[in-house]
Amino acid sequence: MTDPRALSRKTLTRSAAKHTGLILLTLVMLYPVIWMVVSSLRPNEEIFRSPGVIPDSLRFENYSEGWTALASPFGHYLINSAIVVIGCIIGNLVSCSMAAYAFARLEFTGKKLWFAIMLGTIMLPIHVIIVPQYVMFSQFGWVNTFLPLIVPKLLATDAFFVFLMVQFIRGLPRELDEAARIDGAGHPRIFLQVILPLMLPALATTTIFTFIWTWNDFFSQLIYLTDPEMYTVPVALRSYVDATVSTSWGSMFAMSVVSLLPIFLAFLVGQRFLIKGIATTGIK
Amino acid sequence: MSAIGELQRLNTSTGGPPRKRDTKAALLFLLPWFAGILLITAGPVAASFVLGFTDYNLIQPPEFNGLENIERMFTDERLHHSLGVTFTYVFVSVPLQLAAALGLAMLLDRGMRGLAFYRSAFYLPSLLGSSVAIAVLWRQIFGAEGLINQMLGFFGIEGTGWISDPDTALSTLIVLNVWTFGAPMVIFLAGLRQIPVMYYEAAQIDGAGRWTQFRRITVPLLSPIIFFNLVLQIIHAFQSFTQAFVVSGGTGGPSDSTMFYTLYLYQRGFHSFDMGYASALAWLLLLIIAAFTAVNFWAAKRWVFYDD
Amino acid sequence: MKKVLVGALAALLLAGCGGSGGGKADGDLTADKIELRFTWWGSDARHQRTQQVIDLWQKAHPNITIKGEFKEWNGYWDSLATTVAANDAPDVIQMDELYLASYAERGALLDLGTAGKNLSSTDFDAKALATGAIDGKQYGLPTGVTTYSLVANTDLLAKYNITLPDDATWTWDDLKTVGDQISKASGGEVTGLQSWGFDIGGVNIWARQAGASLYAPDGKVAIPADILAKYWQYLLDIAKQGVAPPASVSVERAGAGLDQSGTATNKSAIGTWWNSQLTSLAKASGQNLKLLKIPGEGTATGAYYKPSMFWSISSRSKHPAEAAAFVNFLGNSQEAADILLTDRGIPANTKIRTALTGKLEGTDKAAAEFLDSVKVGEAPRVTPNGASDVEAILKRHTESVLFERETPQQAAEAFIKELQAGIDAA
Repeated sequence: MTDPRALSRKTLTRSAAKHTGLILLTLVMLYPVIWMVVSSLRPNEEIFRSPGVIPDSLRFENYSEGWTALASPFGHYLINSAIVVIGCIIGNLVSCSMAAYAFARLEFTGKKLWFAIMLGTIMLPIHVIIVPQYVMFSQFGWVNTFLPLIVPKLLATDAFFVFLMVQFIRGLPRELDEAARIDGAGHPRIFLQVILPLMLPALATTTIFTFIWTWNDFFSQLIYLTDPEMYTVPVALRSYVDATVSTSWGSMFAMSVVSLLPIFLAFLVGQRFLIKGIATTGIK
Repeated sequence: MSAIGELQRLNTSTGGPPRKRDTKAALLFLLPWFAGILLITAGPVAASFVLGFTDYNLIQPPEFNGLENIERMFTDERLHHSLGVTFTYVFVSVPLQLAAALGLAMLLDRGMRGLAFYRSAFYLPSLLGSSVAIAVLWRQIFGAEGLINQMLGFFGIEGTGWISDPDTALSTLIVLNVWTFGAPMVIFLAGLRQIPVMYYEAAQIDGAGRWTQFRRITVPLLSPIIFFNLVLQIIHAFQSFTQAFVVSGGTGGPSDSTMFYTLYLYQRGFHSFDMGYASALAWLLLLIIAAFTAVNFWAAKRWVFYDD
Repeated sequence: MKKVLVGALAALLLAGCGGSGGGKADGDLTADKIELRFTWWGSDARHQRTQQVIDLWQKAHPNITIKGEFKEWNGYWDSLATTVAANDAPDVIQMDELYLASYAERGALLDLGTAGKNLSSTDFDAKALATGAIDGKQYGLPTGVTTYSLVANTDLLAKYNITLPDDATWTWDDLKTVGDQISKASGGEVTGLQSWGFDIGGVNIWARQAGASLYAPDGKVAIPADILAKYWQYLLDIAKQGVAPPASVSVERAGAGLDQSGTATNKSAIGTWWNSQLTSLAKASGQNLKLLKIPGEGTATGAYYKPSMFWSISSRSKHPAEAAAFVNFLGNSQEAADILLTDRGIPANTKIRTALTGKLEGTDKAAAEFLDSVKVGEAPRVTPNGASDVEAILKRHTESVLFERETPQQAAEAFIKELQAGIDAA
């Protein structure tokens, strides 16, 4: 065996090199984000005239002005977005995990065909679906409500997550549900008591992604929410920008930073659950 | 007997008696999904299919025009160009992004110091999503007076405006896509967490090196997740819209160099009031993506392991 | 079978279209409680002003609630097209010259002439009013007018000691010469000119000065390819000679919007703009800017009044009379004008404009005075149905010319062909 001290020095150097590399990469990854935060504190005229990320002066008014620049205080849009996001998360977690269990664990007629259809539904671009869909939802009287955004999620139309969970469930050992079955458990019980707890990382991933993607989704929210009272964050954020006149960039960046906070916090909280997988629950 | 060998035998065994059908349970579990297909998806999808055979300007009722839209596709040079742009984008950016995501996920999976910090830092760019801010940020970096050119200028090299030069604009979008590798990284991380540590411990006892462990434990056991990311990122890249839209201000410029397929389709539909043709284009895209996905599923039989 | 399907679909897409609304545009205003939807694009400053005007209306008409819906430019058109398709369009619509015919000729807009007593246009400048009319029907009431101009940074000119020729008589060659002087005097610090070719105004002026026009009155593309080729040759020359920035810089700035343009960041001394953009530019630039007349106007008139935007009413509005009355308020009320000022252009209503000019200050005043000083010809034909994407086509070919992927001649021929194909298909 080698000298333990030499080994530890070697590990130390390697670890230092690794961290240096990672920190450099972090800087590259974060430069634009840093620039955005700095710009949110710059006077409007300075944003495009002065380069770099070191501000000459700090202008916190961008935040207070941006907050009140639109028809309602920005908090109003944050709350609207939060309502949509929560609805979508609940919808995706419940309906996608159920569908995924069926596709991953149950045998039924035409399974392959149904699975193909499910995947097929995410292959059509939204831009050709949205007009007929708008016509349909406006017949339901759903325009200017959050229903067109939330109800589809309650009905497992987000095939991305169904497929994601299918892959996770298929990665779980069959013996686990066989054992439960021998104990007399039916499918609902296997699903709720065996599978769901084990796919916590997949559920966490679904929650995080649904949160972020819904929070950032612009097009469908723009189309379905025409009344400013109902605007969500991405729709509101774009109302600051007009290419033909001058734009309140300071306010826009300030509110972009504000709207980034909830999703960043969601990620920070959510990622704790990412690491609680089978490895830490100790099964098998 | 080698622990790895035993493990692989365990994983590839398809044993167990043939299962009976669980139609009733399946109906129950798929109830929301079936309802969604019938009530939400089917109508608009069927409508878009029918519209593909019409001349529809959004304002007046659609008029049936037979196969005219399909014939048009053969002579539409901008369509062919947009296909070229999209294929380039898919074939370059998907492998790069997945490699970055998997590499960093592996690096970050080992319980190292500052793990949570790095993970969050690497994910942060993906949070920006389609924010309008992205357009401005990207110009700050790749613009004629952006960060890249300032650094090049330091070495006495004069760079072009990377975003606005038709020769380089697509590359900056590929970089943008790779930069947001956070989503597949998180999925990889979640997948890596499902691999029991004991497999690696067993392999170490057998004296297997890092590379062997990667090849013989990580890849096979992570393969469903790698497969998932591959399939979805390809679908996603074919449909890529938002980044090109935001960075080029919706034009697909300069000189159509970032004219992705969906961007072209969107422009035909909404800017040129040509929704019939746009619908036909959407179904062509569906066929292309479906073909790629089918090939993926076929190939998956050779390299994806399931535990069931 | 397919015909049945299409029929069913058409019925679905036009569901509820049966009645053409709930009344006549020249009828009496209702005393019932109703709600009108009013949509516009813009940035936060415009949203605030417009909301104040809505509040003002609300005081006088408590039973006619106006719901304002504001959007940014791109999303605005996506949303408008979708709502029109679903027969769910807002009642009062802010309309752009590019899209007016595309919506009007397909029957989506109300002929404002039918509004009779509810909507007066007698105080409007006749030439401006004509820009909102198609085949004798008034589909849009112009909010304001603007005209193509050059914006010069006088601080930069003073810094480099440059005297401009008289803008009443100067030529395009003069402009190139003076631009070159500025570029050279600054040693590459700034460029004399800012490239253009990304909006249709420049092409219109160029064609009209050469005795041609972009569109014939019947809506066909009429500009000869060699005239258009000369236009692009000029742009290519100034880029290659350093009078304007290199291609990649010009394209980048054009795509980035007003705030990041060469004029706004004081990196180009002279640029082409609509005169109404002066205030925004001056705010962004922080330096002294001055409006100049377009070169070549001394010998042939190319200049014209462009309607900055229009007020239109949906043809399927359930309350056309009330919508017309609200548009009347937007266009003719002095109180509303005092709030809106020049946000939607220098008012096309001459009475309002006269009353307003006295109240304007600084760059707003300069812009209004400039408008009066320009000699204009008849307005060009409204952008034909099917040509709403003309600026996108123009921009793409300008980019190809600047990067020398197309010669000016090739670009001109391709542009004409493509534009005509769009019009033919509509």
